[in-house]
Amino acid sequence: MMLRNLKFALNSAWQSFWRNLAVSLAAVLSITLILILAGINLLVGHALSQVLDGFRAKVSEISINVSDDTPLQSVYDFEQVLTADPRVASVRFITKDEALAQFKADPQNVVFAQQIEGNPLDAKLEVHVKNLSDVAGIDTVARRWSGVDPTDPTNYQGDFVNRMLELSSWLSLAGVALLLILMLVSVVIVMNTIRTAVYHRRKEIEVMKLVGATEWFVRGPFVIEGIMTGLIAASIALALLVVAYPPAVDRFKSDIGFIPLSYDPRFITILAQDLLLAGALLGALGSYIGVRRYVRI
Amino acid sequence: MGYTARDLATRARRRVTPQQETQPMVLTPDFESRPVISFQRVFKTYPTGTEALRDINLEVPEGDFLFLVGPSGAGKSTVVRLLIREEKPTKGKIFVDGIELGRMKRRKLPYYRRKVGLVFQDFKLLPNLTVYENVAFALRVLGEPDQHVRDRVAEALDTVSLSAKENTYPANLSGGEQQRVAIARALVHAPRFIIADEPTGNLDPATAWEIMQLFLRINARGATVVMATHNREIVDLLRRRVVAIDAGQIARDDRSGRYHDDVAKPQVRAQ
Repeated sequence: MMLRNLKFALNSAWQSFWRNLAVSLAAVLSITLILILAGINLLVGHALSQVLDGFRAKVSEISINVSDDTPLQSVYDFEQVLTADPRVASVRFITKDEALAQFKADPQNVVFAQQIEGNPLDAKLEVHVKNLSDVAGIDTVARRWSGVDPTDPTNYQGDFVNRMLELSSWLSLAGVALLLILMLVSVVIVMNTIRTAVYHRRKEIEVMKLVGATEWFVRGPFVIEGIMTGLIAASIALALLVVAYPPAVDRFKSDIGFIPLSYDPRFITILAQDLLLAGALLGALGSYIGVRRYVRI
Repeated sequence: MGYTARDLATRARRRVTPQQETQPMVLTPDFESRPVISFQRVFKTYPTGTEALRDINLEVPEGDFLFLVGPSGAGKSTVVRLLIREEKPTKGKIFVDGIELGRMKRRKLPYYRRKVGLVFQDFKLLPNLTVYENVAFALRVLGEPDQHVRDRVAEALDTVSLSAKENTYPANLSGGEQQRVAIARALVHAPRFIIADEPTGNLDPATAWEIMQLFLRINARGATVVMATHNREIVDLLRRRVVAIDAGQIARDDRSGRYHDDVAKPQVRAQ
């Protein structure tokens, strides 16, 4: 019996979708637009988190400059202290020679490197912290150490890190807020669309109720129609986004070179799952609410 | 030859063959048995403040054929709406087949409606479905298997003599034919009660009479029929039970009544 009811619901959802094609297409178009916006939001969010991850990797590293007259044993001791610190992920000691070699290896420094005499660079301890917010603490510890170069203790730029942290939390909050607004708008749109469909079929619903159809029997076809609408819209939105994603990334990369943005094909799978699921849910929820008033006996 | 309602109800459940039915049967409702429909001190006041029914007491035995008569706005439709649980009584109790309608849970309502066949003045057919599909609709809603649906619909259309028009759309049928489709839909799930609200209201006298014959046959098979009507000729001719409602109260309840109470309203006879 369940199967027969499901068959009936699928049939009548399909018929209703085609019979009210204009209304159905309007709904598909609206939800497609919303899901495209949602998809862009997700993609931009993903790109931003890519960028932020890049920055994070850079700024969660702090270099402690060692003054030239510090005995090697003292450096090793301090390295031990840092390694034992729970906030620290790893510590690497870079000697003056290594620092110079690194400096010379950078193609940007070619001209400058040729003019250097001797080795003006400090030896340094490169510390990787586990958590970006702990960089400040390590910086304080480093500045108290006797062997630090007093003129240029560390490369820590507190202000920059804090701003980055603040920015990233604001951006993710804004993204979530935008998504919520988009979801709400699309539920309202689906609700109104289904309501129009229901209004066209109110006589049928009345008769269904009079001959003893259960509420779910009446509601089923509309909810399925909503899910269908949502899935079609999600597929269109997804297709457009998949086509537009790589060229958009290329365009941004060429415009703003320093941002570590890259095309991420794995994210497409996640995007597909999210959009299809969101489309189906929005469609179902919208039609459930839309049909509610008419189905209540 | 007299049958009691109970005999007929039993026979109807055994499915009477057309041959067995050639002899017209006269139904004698068993007024002594427990009523299947019972109104106990029912009051209905609408939210607008209109007092539609006041202190209605009514008992309907199984197999009864009851006309509800009275002027427009007297409360006939309210009685019908209470019976199909479109409305709940403000005060008092209504029992149908042992169920108290006012206390019935909302999710039980569909199952109650399946016991009842409904016929309306405006037919309430679905214009985008054929005659066959309209009748089948009442069974599809119940999730009946296809073969069963086909058999029962064929049987119901045969009862109302519309088998030849099963692929026609309601718009291409006459008023009488449309009402016959509605009756076929009302009886296709073999309900124990038929509730009709002005079923002949939109039909000419000859067609109205045809429709009444159908209701009588359904009643003779054992279904209890409650019919609100304005059709004086039919009520007077059939001499069935008549409950007259006036200003929200039962003015008269005759087991073999007429549309108007001749003694109380001599001016009617003068017409």
